[in-house]
Order: sequence, then C-alpha cells, then structure tokens
Amino acid sequence: MTPAAAIPLKEPTVSAAAGDAEQLERARIDASTRVPVLMFYASAMVWLLIGTLLAGFVSFKLHSPDWFSDVSFLTWGRLRPVHMNVMVYGWASMVAMGTAIWLMARLCRTTLRHPLIIVTGIWFWNIGVVIGVIGILMGYSTGYDWLEFPPYAAVVLFVAYALIISWAVLMFRFRRGDQIYITQWYLLAAFLWFPWLYAAAQAMLFVVPVQGVMQAAVGWWYANNLLFLWLGAIALGTAYYMIPKVIGRPVYSYHLATIGFWTYALFSSWTGMQRLVDGPFPAWMITASIAATILTIIPVATVGLNHHMTMQGYFPVMRYSPTLRFTVFGAMSYTVFSVVGILISLRSTARYLHFTEASIAYSHMGLYAFFTMIMFGSMYYIVPRLVGREWRYATLIKLHFWASAYGVGLMSLMLLVGGLTQGADQNDTSMTFIESVASVLPYVRGRTVAALLLTVSHFIFAFHFGLMLFGLGRTSTVPTFLNPVEAEGSEEHL
Amino acid sequence: MKGLVPLFIGLFGTFAFSWVGLTVIPNWQIGALNPQTDEEGTDAYPTPKSGMADRGRQIYAANGCIYCHSQQIRPDYDSADIDRVRDAGPSPGPKWAERRSAPRDYIFDRPVVLGQERMGPDVANIGKAAPTEEEKPAAAPAANVAATSPAPAQSPPANVPPSKPGPPAPAASSAPAQPAPAQSPPPNASAPKPGTSGPPPAAPATSPAPPAGSPPAPPAAAANPSPGPSASPNPTGLPPAYSEAWHHRHLYSPRSMSPDNRDSTMPAYKFLYEKHPISGERSADALQLEGRDAPPPGWEIVPTYEAKCLVAYLMSLDQSHPLKEVKTAPGGAAPPAGSPPAAPTGSSAPAPPKK
Repeated sequence: MTPAAAIPLKEPTVSAAAGDAEQLERARIDASTRVPVLMFYASAMVWLLIGTLLAGFVSFKLHSPDWFSDVSFLTWGRLRPVHMNVMVYGWASMVAMGTAIWLMARLCRTTLRHPLIIVTGIWFWNIGVVIGVIGILMGYSTGYDWLEFPPYAAVVLFVAYALIISWAVLMFRFRRGDQIYITQWYLLAAFLWFPWLYAAAQAMLFVVPVQGVMQAAVGWWYANNLLFLWLGAIALGTAYYMIPKVIGRPVYSYHLATIGFWTYALFSSWTGMQRLVDGPFPAWMITASIAATILTIIPVATVGLNHHMTMQGYFPVMRYSPTLRFTVFGAMSYTVFSVVGILISLRSTARYLHFTEASIAYSHMGLYAFFTMIMFGSMYYIVPRLVGREWRYATLIKLHFWASAYGVGLMSLMLLVGGLTQGADQNDTSMTFIESVASVLPYVRGRTVAALLLTVSHFIFAFHFGLMLFGLGRTSTVPTFLNPVEAEGSEEHL
Repeated sequence: MKGLVPLFIGLFGTFAFSWVGLTVIPNWQIGALNPQTDEEGTDAYPTPKSGMADRGRQIYAANGCIYCHSQQIRPDYDSADIDRVRDAGPSPGPKWAERRSAPRDYIFDRPVVLGQERMGPDVANIGKAAPTEEEKPAAAPAANVAATSPAPAQSPPANVPPSKPGPPAPAASSAPAQPAPAQSPPPNASAPKPGTSGPPPAAPATSPAPPAGSPPAPPAAAANPSPGPSASPNPTGLPPAYSEAWHHRHLYSPRSMSPDNRDSTMPAYKFLYEKHPISGERSADALQLEGRDAPPPGWEIVPTYEAKCLVAYLMSLDQSHPLKEVKTAPGGAAPPAGSPPAAPTGSSAPAPPKK
C-alpha cells in the first residue's frame, strides 16, 4: 500500500512558472462556465429533491394504496411516471449536461462563449419539465415508459437542448491542442446520440406513429438507449476524467479505452428488447438484444479493468477524496449493474424475473448506483472550483455517501430478491395470483426504508450544496478531505 | 484517438446500426399487419375498438394502470401464463388465456399498453372473462319472467320517493331485469341511464353512451350494472365476477371485493366516480356498495363518463380469437370457424389471410 503521505492529493504542479500559467488559464475557463453550470446544478438539485419526495410517496403508496388515493393527481399511477420523468429529465439530464459542459470547456481548453444562451436553454429545459409534469398530473400521460411527457413538452425540451448543446459543440470547434481525450469521445457521442434518439422516438410514436407492438419496441429501444447512450456515456466520460485527475496519474491504457468505447457504442445500443422477452415480437429481435446484453461484458471488462489499473495502489485515496469515493463507487456499480443486467436478461432467469420488481431494481442500479453516484462525485469536484469555496463539513459528505450507498444497495437487494419470489410465485399455478403480490409486499416495504435513507442523503447534500451556492463554504486552498490526511497508519478502513 | 472524421463516422454508424436494426427493420416485418379473416373474407380479427373503448385506453394509460397490469401472454414453454386462472369468479376461475399474444392482436392499439410488471394480473383477456349469457342466470337465480321486466323496472319506481338505496320492494323488481337486456332491444339498455343526470323520464337522449357502447364485445351489453339491492343473488353481495358492475365496484373499492383480495395493492379510483343525491329514481348504473364505502342514505355513487370508457375498454379486451400464426391451447374455446377450413371452395376470394 502506498503510504497516504505519498499520495498526491492535489494536482501535481509541473514547474512554478508553467504551473501558474496553467492555473490561471483553468481559473479563467472555470469562471466562464460558472453561471450556466451552477444553474444546471441548482435546477438539478431542486428536481432531485422533488423526485426524491415523489419516490418515497410512490414507494409508500405501493404497499399502502389508500393513502391520498381519492385525489386524481395524487393517484399512484400518475405519481409514478412523474417521479420517473422528474428524475430522468429534471435531475439526471440536467446534472449530466452541467458536468458535461464544464468538462468540455476544461478539456478543450477554451472558455465557454455566450453563456447566456445556455442559461436561456436551461430555463427552457426547466419549463419543459414543468409542462410535462403538469401534463402527466392532469392525466395526459402518453403511456410510453420514460416518454410520458405529452409531446408538446418534448418540443420545449428539444428547443432547450438545441440552445444548450450547440454551444458545447462549438466549444469543441474552438478547442486548443490536437489530442482528443477519452472523456471527449463519450461527451461528443452523447451530445450527438441524444437528439437523434429523442427525435426518432418522438417521430415514431407521435408524429408518424408505428403500428401496434412496434410502439413498445420503439419505447424500450428509446428507454434503454437513453440510459446507456445519453446518461451512461456522460457518466463514463466523467469517470475517465475524475479518477485520473484526483489521483494525478494518467489513464492506464488508451487502447483499452478505445476498445471499451467502441464496444460500448456498438453493443449497449442494441440492448433494450430483452425487456420484452417472450412478448408478441419476432423472436430474433429479443434474441439479438439478449446477445448484445451478453456482449456488453466486453466494454464492462475493458472499462472496469482500465479504471482498476489506473487506481491500482491509489485506492487509499478514497479515504480522503469525496470525488474519488463517489466516482469509484459509481464505476464499480457500472460493473455490477451490467452483470446483473446480463443475468436477468437470460431467458432462463427472465422467465422468473420478467414482470416483477426486479426490473425496477435494474433501472435503479443503472440510474442511481452507476450514473447518479458518479455525478455526485463530479459535483464535489466541480462546485468548489466554481464558487471559490471548499465544502464546509466533511461529516455531511460522509453521511451523504453512506446514506446513498446503503440506500441504493438496500433497494437493489430488496427488489431483486422480492422480484425472484414474486416471479417464482407467478409461475406456480398452485398459488393464486394475489399470493404472488402478497409475497413481494415485505420487500416493497423494505424498499420504502431504502427510499427514506436516500431522502436523508439527498437533503443533506442539498443543504451542503446550498451553503456552497450562497458562498458559505470554507475559504481555503486545501480541498475538504473526508478524513484528516495526517491520520495515517490506520489502514483498516479504506 | 486521431482524427475527428473516423470518430464521427463511428458515432453515426453505431447508432444508425442500432436504429435500423431494432426499429426500422422490425417495422418492415411487423409494422403493417392486416386483420386476419377467414376464407370468405369475413370474421375479421382484430377489429378497431369502439369510441368509448378507445377513449378508455387513453384513461388506462394516463392513470398508470399500465405499470401494474400487463397485456401480453407469454408462451406456455416459458411461463405459466396460459395455465393460470383468475382469482375471482366461480371456481375454476376463467383462464388467463388460451394462447400466447401475437403482434397481430395489437394492430389497432395506440398507445399500445403491453405493460412491464405484474403487481396485478394480466388483463389481456379480461373482457373474455366476463360472464356469458348462460352463466348469468346461474349467478342471478332470481330471474323468472325476465323478458318482460325491463320496462317495469324503470317506469314504476319513478314515483318512488328518493329513499335510501336499501331494500324497497320496487327496486327488487329491477333485479330480474338483469338477464334481460341481452335479448332486449337497445332502447331498453339505454333507458335506465338518464337517471344519472336528471329525473328519469325527462331526458332519455342526453345519456352520452349506454353501456352497450362497445359493440365488438357482446357481453358488455349483457352486463347491465347494479343488480337490485335486496335481491343480490350472490352470497357475497357482489356482482358476477368481471361483469361491468364488478369492474366499477373494483375500481371504486378494490379491497372490498372478497376476503382474499385484502392484499391487493390496487389504488381506489374514486375520483372517476361521482356522488349525487338521488333525485327520483336511483340510477341504474349506481354502484352497489356496503359498509364503509356505502354513500349516506339518499345519495348514490355513479361512474363518470371516463369510468364508463375505462370499463368499456376492459370489457373489450379479448385475445381469444385464434390466430393462424399462433398455436391455441388444446381444449381451448375455439368457436369461430376461422381455423379449420374444411372445404377451400374454389371461390376466388383474394385471400386476405396472407400476411
């Protein structure tokens, strides 16, 4: 183990003069992204809190259905899509765009031009989400998973997206240096794929609707690719930036990164249909998606190996750096999430897990344990550089981490095990159907406990973020460590 | 990585590959299916749903029914879907399905609501589970001279004072009316409806749509809701399982349906129902409720138009018609004469059943 004292906790400074120039430049770039990125984060935080409260509500109502059921816009069937869409479009997409724009500016080594246009875009995006949420609550949900927003909300989101991303791409146009870093591949890919994906899904479902079951195929194709090619790609790109940056060491292998990137683009974009296993579709579609899901083991293995080899010998840094701890947790969850995805997509297990809570566990592992944790990590890195203050309370960061980690772990475990019992009972015709529901109820209650943990975690983080936003962070040149650096020698807890 | 051009070509290429492979090509294959017909070009299946049922699908999607109820039956080699029977109803309950679902079952559905989870049972064939004509008298043995009753059922009680929905004698006479509307002409089916909106004799025409609003599903017309309050033939006081009245009551108060339904996590959809003071006669489609759910005396609970659409949609869900591309379970009800074409009869019909 590398002794903690030898671990570079700050970016290594090359030489005094060159370092100064670089730091100045970085500060200038960070300052140019300050307003839009903080606005992204602030909006995302608000949506995160709303979505978290909704999640608790939805989780609780699933086992106590008579709670507030007499009001049309508080019925479970409307709150659930609101929760999902708030999380996907309000929280996840906004925090992803904020981080992506900051990373893009840093990596292109150019200032962000015309930040006000992006700010306008952010307003539009927020308005789009509000319109969509109101639409669902009023009973105008479209009924397609992850696309419940009425189509007119999608138009607003699209305008907002064009305003935001055109400038991020322009930044790329004005980049300095020839090297295109791994992170930039992922970000460019996400910027390009998302509008295509969103437009294709909207067109095939609402403008020129496809017939019958093809709507479901398009819907799941969209949902899965949104998770992988939009949110997942940005999360992986962020991890590729944060991990080497924090430990001050280059990525282990560019070749592995290339393989990982292209196989990710190729295979994960073909998944999705396994969520329709045994449904009324040509069998080849589902089989192709199952095969693609199995093949995602290649990007998972290469990306995982690459991160692991980069981290080799530096794992103790996780004891100190909040960014690294969250990011590594997310990167590891990417492996777990993908392996679970492979296991539950196989036909032999899908016959038990299809139509059960296990699919909810899968979504949460992807959206939370993998994506959201990496985004939390990036916020811990980026926000101090934007507000010029350091995080005030190490304890709050630790609480945030452990509540999130245990919360999402408990939720995944509950829903996977609950899904297994539920599915086994559904396939056992000697039991009535209602018994299969009864058998999963204890696990659903357990999930509510997990939702409580996550609520605590998010409110702690929001409070801390609010302190930073209002300039109440610590004034210091040293970043906030989770544990005092001098406390070396106690290596029992990495 | 060197060079932007390969990067962008790669990004476009991988995504286009997925887009074409998973949406465009399947759309060529199953995106333009026609209904199946028999040799003579009749007996088309599926057929578009009625206006009410179509609206009902929107309500089904918008209120999130889709998150707990699937509408797809998996094949028998991979699941127990076909072997499963429904919980409610006379034992053995109606089967979930006779065959697996096929793309052709959904060609008129928009949005298509296949569902992804089963916190509630599959409803792909819930309309098929409705009591048929023969079962109705068994469920309502009080029927005696049914054929003549519809008219008296609505006119004499009109002058009954707005009393509690308890057991007044005239109301009991409406119970025998139950089996009748099946063979009675449509006016009888619609006549009791105006009670929802005003004095019964006043505005028969304002009734937006009778329960017979879903022509493709004949049981819908038969399942006139609300058996007489006192003469409830069923020992549990429930309407026959999966009838229209049953669905209304289930939507209004899911956990009141039977003792073994206490674990149901279905929310009540009370906001789809209205509470009225009873003016004149009790509405024919008022819900039969007991205990905690029952309205105060002099009041009644009636479905809104949306609730009626939703139930019309549920009653229209039926995938029992055999399809040529799918094997139907042996012993299954296969009444329509579509499948075994005994004599191809050289009629030069343009052979629509081709896909």
